[in-house]
Amino acid sequence: MEELKNTLKQQIIESLNLEGMKPADIDDNAPLFGEGLGLDSIDSLELMVLLERNYGIKIEDAREGRKVLESVQSMAEYIQQHRTI
Amino acid sequence: MMQPAYISSASIISPQQHFEDVGFLEGIKTTSDGILFVTEPDYKKYINPVAIRRMSKMLKMGISTGMNALQHAGVDKPDAIITGTGRGSMIDTEQFLLNMIEMNEEALTPTSFIQSTYNSINGWLALQTKCNGYNQTYVNRGASLEMALFDAQMLLHESGKEMNILAGCFDEITPDYVKVKSKVGYWKHPSPLSTDLFRHDDTPGTIAGEGTAFFTLTNNKNRAICAMPALKTLQDEQPAGVIDAINTLLTGQGLSMADIDVLLCGMNGDVRQQAVYDELFKTTTERTSVTAFKHLCGEYDTSSGFAIWAATQLFTSQNLPDIITIKRGTHEGIKNILLVNHYILNSHSIILLQNIQ
Repeated sequence: MEELKNTLKQQIIESLNLEGMKPADIDDNAPLFGEGLGLDSIDSLELMVLLERNYGIKIEDAREGRKVLESVQSMAEYIQQHRTI
Repeated sequence: MMQPAYISSASIISPQQHFEDVGFLEGIKTTSDGILFVTEPDYKKYINPVAIRRMSKMLKMGISTGMNALQHAGVDKPDAIITGTGRGSMIDTEQFLLNMIEMNEEALTPTSFIQSTYNSINGWLALQTKCNGYNQTYVNRGASLEMALFDAQMLLHESGKEMNILAGCFDEITPDYVKVKSKVGYWKHPSPLSTDLFRHDDTPGTIAGEGTAFFTLTNNKNRAICAMPALKTLQDEQPAGVIDAINTLLTGQGLSMADIDVLLCGMNGDVRQQAVYDELFKTTTERTSVTAFKHLCGEYDTSSGFAIWAATQLFTSQNLPDIITIKRGTHEGIKNILLVNHYILNSHSIILLQNIQ
């Protein structure tokens, strides 16, 4: 799980071009949107594509997507349960 | 007769210098690679730090140049934003198309698609300045900036009140674009040193370039650096037709070629595109200085932006740098500048600029 979370943080940094950030700077449980990393709606689309490309996960339901993208912890848990690649 | 548009500020990002550099064409940059890439400023002063991380080079260039032009004019919120681009954000477009191929048209990221649209820079500028006025981007190849300026001039002419319009242009070059256009003979092979471009004007091809230029245009003469009384674009015109159009434009302003102090020429060193300038030189008098600029910025759809910025610098400094001078005329001071430009073979533009200081 720890390895998955670190990989995921690195992927988030690269995909969202979070300049000057390292995986250690992202708290597992900090909210990704609003406070915390301060991401926005375009970032949420980028994260959905990240999940599809890297883990074969396609989230169709917006409500479910909102829950999954709450934090790195929630994303990692969802990936562990639903990944197809 | 159409009222002049007045230029109250001019900002650029170019291969030679950007809006934060002091001076005019000092420390000339050259290349023998056939591509003149821009020198970039620190964007963080002009763009929201949260938004900047996902912006491509083109977006950062366009937004910062536009914001800088407004700052210099002392305008927080323009009444309209009108721009021109020949190709828009090429890097985003190429990235999106490559993603489509690589991902088999599935799981495409939104950012490069959103930013690849031509009006993306206008949208950002409108958001940053809270401008909800007229907003237009012209994509008319080599006449894109000219169409934007003409639209701005008409808007200023028709407006019954004082207006400030942010008008500008942006184009970027990519290695893939250079490779594709090389196949249709756009570029010189081998490429000469960029500043030696006109010593090689007996062979086909030119050098590639890129840049942004933004101007604050107004109908208030008191705020102006210079006036733009008239401009004209021509499509698929022969050299004789271009010369006729120049004479008609000047006559309409009560001028002739003998009144022009500086002729700014868009020749690009390509022997196939030189005829119009050879004809033009026959019409100049001893008074007129003949100058050129594409050895400094390269050839691109909206290179007129670099030339208009250079004209504002000439008016302000009243000094003609050797690096742009082909023939020094007998004129005293610089009052009337005629810009004659073209893009590849079929698109010509004529712009008259006048010092009003």
